[in-house]
Amino acid sequence: MPELRLDRVTKQFKNKIAVDEVSLSLKEGVYGFLGANGSGKTTLLRMLCGVLRPTSGEIFCNGMEIGRLDGEYRCMLGYLPQDFGYYPDFTAKRYLEYLAACKAVPKDLVHDKVQEMLRFTGLEGEQKSKIKTFSGGMIRRLGIAQALLNDPEILVLDEPTAGLDPKERIRFRNMISTFSKGRIIILSTHIVSDVDFIADQILLMKQGRIVGQGTCGEVTESVRGRVWEYVAEPEEAQRLNKKFAVSGLRNETGSVHLRLIANECPCEGALPVEPGLEDVYLYYFEEASEYVQDLERGNA
Amino acid sequence: MDSKMKWRFPVDERRKAACMREIRLQVEEKRFRRYPSFAENVWNELRFQSPWHWALQGGVLFAALLVAVWGSRRAGTDSVNIAASSVFIVFAGNICLSGVARLFSWHMAELEQTLYLNLKQMICIRMLEAGVVDSGVLAILTGVGGGCSVSGTGVYFLYMLVPFLWSDVLYLYMLTAFRNLFSGFGQTAAGVICGLLALFPAFLEKAYQPDYVPVWAALSVAGILVLGVELYRIPGKIERGEHVCLN
Repeated sequence: MPELRLDRVTKQFKNKIAVDEVSLSLKEGVYGFLGANGSGKTTLLRMLCGVLRPTSGEIFCNGMEIGRLDGEYRCMLGYLPQDFGYYPDFTAKRYLEYLAACKAVPKDLVHDKVQEMLRFTGLEGEQKSKIKTFSGGMIRRLGIAQALLNDPEILVLDEPTAGLDPKERIRFRNMISTFSKGRIIILSTHIVSDVDFIADQILLMKQGRIVGQGTCGEVTESVRGRVWEYVAEPEEAQRLNKKFAVSGLRNETGSVHLRLIANECPCEGALPVEPGLEDVYLYYFEEASEYVQDLERGNA
Repeated sequence: MDSKMKWRFPVDERRKAACMREIRLQVEEKRFRRYPSFAENVWNELRFQSPWHWALQGGVLFAALLVAVWGSRRAGTDSVNIAASSVFIVFAGNICLSGVARLFSWHMAELEQTLYLNLKQMICIRMLEAGVVDSGVLAILTGVGGGCSVSGTGVYFLYMLVPFLWSDVLYLYMLTAFRNLFSGFGQTAAGVICGLLALFPAFLEKAYQPDYVPVWAALSVAGILVLGVELYRIPGKIERGEHVCLN
């Protein structure tokens, strides 16, 4: 069973610190990194895959630094980058065969493995088509197929569901759940429902740091008492919408149902409600929440 | 025989079968990894090159032969032959390195860097392949062209080596400095610029005179050194990763 350990990992690009002293221990299970754009998720994932070298700190796999493990570590790894690369003039089959060879998949297994992955991702009928003829969703599925080709013990998926339609997204979630036994699966996304369904552990990233970590229940519990529902007049709703982070807004005849995020009761008559993961996302990543905190501190 | 039998421990077949079953289960659960040899990696990298790529490499060698034979039949026109061969060797280098440039195209570099045979190793293999074809071109042009030249084969080799080395320096620099630019239009533009530079000595009256051989020798040595630095720099740049992610 693999174990990954990050020891005060930092990545700095000139003056910008993209990842700031992140320390983590990852064992078997699905880990979902949740964060806004620019929070450092992709940089952290790239360092986990050995694409980027940390400015300081180290990443260990089973107690050994991943740079020292070199090819042995890469053999354990499956990676789907955010900007998934492919050769457009290759057919899907040839592309997977090429990557299987580069991933050191034993020759006698390549054919079966490629066919299995094509079936798994629903691309079996398109195996002889050139990738340049594929839709965005099909390319994403091909990306998932290549990541699973070598039966990886550590699977890193950066925005895996981007471009997938709802049916494909559900299929992907089920696929990850069945695949997760005995492996570390790390996925980054800003689609809250993805991690909500499949992640055993959720890691909230903001400005290069892990600001929250726990199971879905634990993470949502951290914002209990900060999610409110309120029925307002349209004008008042407009004012509240500007002032607070709003995770839900429903228009009804003559009134607006609002779901607000605020540390304290935002207005008279607002009722605290059960928080969800989307509320957590907004609480941690929505600029308005900072505005609310400032307001409550009396700075705004 | 009897004395040996006396010291044998009695085997509990039931427990032995249970132990064997446990071992079998552990073995089945264990993941076996295969680490291909260097030769196998080279073969894997080369066999997925397109037929078009191999036709191009073969075409370059064949064209080199044609240029060399054409030059050898034009005895007494050394500077024209050298200029034509110089321009050809520059274009040949450009075509040969297209396999390396391809690794950086279509956002493939980031993914390739995470494979068992990673980007750094792929580049080494493709550079090796480009180097072999390029050296073949150099050998053909020098061997055939130099034999008929009044300058002699050694000096003719120097005249070829300078554009060969310096154009490769520029191509390799472009490969990493301007990221995705060394493909398509960028690659063609680099080839044209190098071709024009290779043609330049032909316009200098004494450039191919014996007096200037030390200059050609100095340029060759400098070219070897700069190319060496460039070849050393590329893997380091890839290892740091920023270049790979921005390709």
